[in-house]
Amino acid sequence: MRETIMGEGFFPYDPQAGRVPGAADRPHLMVRDGLLQPALSEIACGGLVLPEEPSGEDLMGGVVRFPGGIAMPVQIERVLGFGRSFSFWPLLFGLACCAIEMMALGGSRFDMSRFGMEAMRASPRQADGMIVAGWCSTKMAPRVVRLYEQIPDPKWVLAMGSCAISGNVWDTYSIVQGIDSLIPVDVYVPGCPPRPEALWQGLEMIRERIKKSRHAYDGLRRIPARDLLAAQSGASCEPATGDEA
Amino acid sequence: MAAAPEVLPASLVAAADAITAAFPDAVIERTEFRGELTLSVAPEGWLDVLTFCRDNEATAFDQMDNFLGDHLPERPAAPFAVVAHLVSHTHGHRLRVKTALAEGQALPSVTGLWPSADFDEREAWEMYGIVFTGHPNLIRLLTTEDFEGFPMRKDFPLQGTVGGRARTDLRGKI
Repeated sequence: MRETIMGEGFFPYDPQAGRVPGAADRPHLMVRDGLLQPALSEIACGGLVLPEEPSGEDLMGGVVRFPGGIAMPVQIERVLGFGRSFSFWPLLFGLACCAIEMMALGGSRFDMSRFGMEAMRASPRQADGMIVAGWCSTKMAPRVVRLYEQIPDPKWVLAMGSCAISGNVWDTYSIVQGIDSLIPVDVYVPGCPPRPEALWQGLEMIRERIKKSRHAYDGLRRIPARDLLAAQSGASCEPATGDEA
Repeated sequence: MAAAPEVLPASLVAAADAITAAFPDAVIERTEFRGELTLSVAPEGWLDVLTFCRDNEATAFDQMDNFLGDHLPERPAAPFAVVAHLVSHTHGHRLRVKTALAEGQALPSVTGLWPSADFDEREAWEMYGIVFTGHPNLIRLLTTEDFEGFPMRKDFPLQGTVGGRARTDLRGKI
C-alpha cells in the first residue's frame, strides 16, 4: 500500500506518523519532514474534482481510500510538478568561469527563456533551484550552503562543471572537493566548462525530475553540510541560517 | 604597445639619489632593469625609507601600487622578501622597494602611510607568515579563520587535506 501511495518513492511518507504527538487529533494534518503539515489529501479534495478511477499512468499514482472520501496525493504532486517544470527559475548565481557558459545559455543564441527558465532570480527566496557553476572555495562554501537553504522547497540543484562536481585538478587546500559534499545535487553536468548545450540538457533532466517531483534529498531531507557541522560540532565554517544577528 | 623605456626618467633618478643620500646605510642595493629601478632596503630602515618616499618632494610617491610577499627558500639566511611598488602621480614615475627577511622577523606596517596596504599586508601575513607590527587588523583575509599554515610557502603541500579544509564524501547517501 505504501508503494502505491508513494509511487516512485518521491514522497517522504512516514509510516510512523501516528506516533507523533498531536497527529491523531488533527486528521487534516500529516507528518512530513518530521513536522505536522497540511496533508496533501486535503489539498486534493478541496482543490480538484477527482475522478473515481485513475485515468493515466503519468498523473495517477494510486487512490488512497479512507472513511469519508478518497485522496490522491501523488496526483497533486504530479500536477504541481507539471506546472513547475515550465517555470523553473534558477538562482542568479555563478561561482567561476562556468558561469560564462551559463550566461551564454541565457543569451539569445541558446535562449533558455524558450523553456521558462530565463527568469534567473537574484534572491534565493524567489528561486526554484540553483546552478552551482564553477569551483567553490572553502571560504565560499558557507555562503553557497546558506543560499541553498534560503531557497524554498521544493528545490533542485545542478552541479555544473568538473570543479563543482569533484574539484577538478584543484586538489588543494582551498577548494571544496565536490559541492555534493555540502548540499544535495540533482543533476551533474560534466565538462570544463560544459557547453551551453550540455547545461541545456542538464536543465531538461532537472525538468523531468520536476515533473516527477523527484529531489536529490529524497529519503534524506538533510543537508550534508549540516551533518558535517554536527559531526565537527563547533566548526568555524558554520553557515549562518539568517536568524542570527 | 610600445616597449618599456630603457632609460630611466630624470625625476626617478633624482628621487633615487635623494633616497640614497638620505639613507646611505639602509639602502643596500640599487638595480636597474629595462627601465625599472629597484632599491633593496634593510628591514630596519623599511618604514623610514617608505615614509621618506611618500613625503619628500623629490620622490612624492603618493600611491602604493602593489605590495606583496615572497618566499625564496634558496636563501636560507633571509628566505622571505617583501616588495612594494610605488607610484608618483606628481612626477609620473614608479619605484620598486624590496627588503629581505629572516624566518620570524617582523616588519613595521606601512598602513599609516598608505591605507591600501591594509589588505596587502594581511595577505602577505596570511600566505607567508610575515608579521607586520603595528597593523591594525592582522587577521586572515582569503582563507577561513581556522586555517593553519601559510599556503604560499614553497614547502606547503600542493595536494591533500591540509589547513583544515572541509572534505566529506556523502555521495553514496544522496
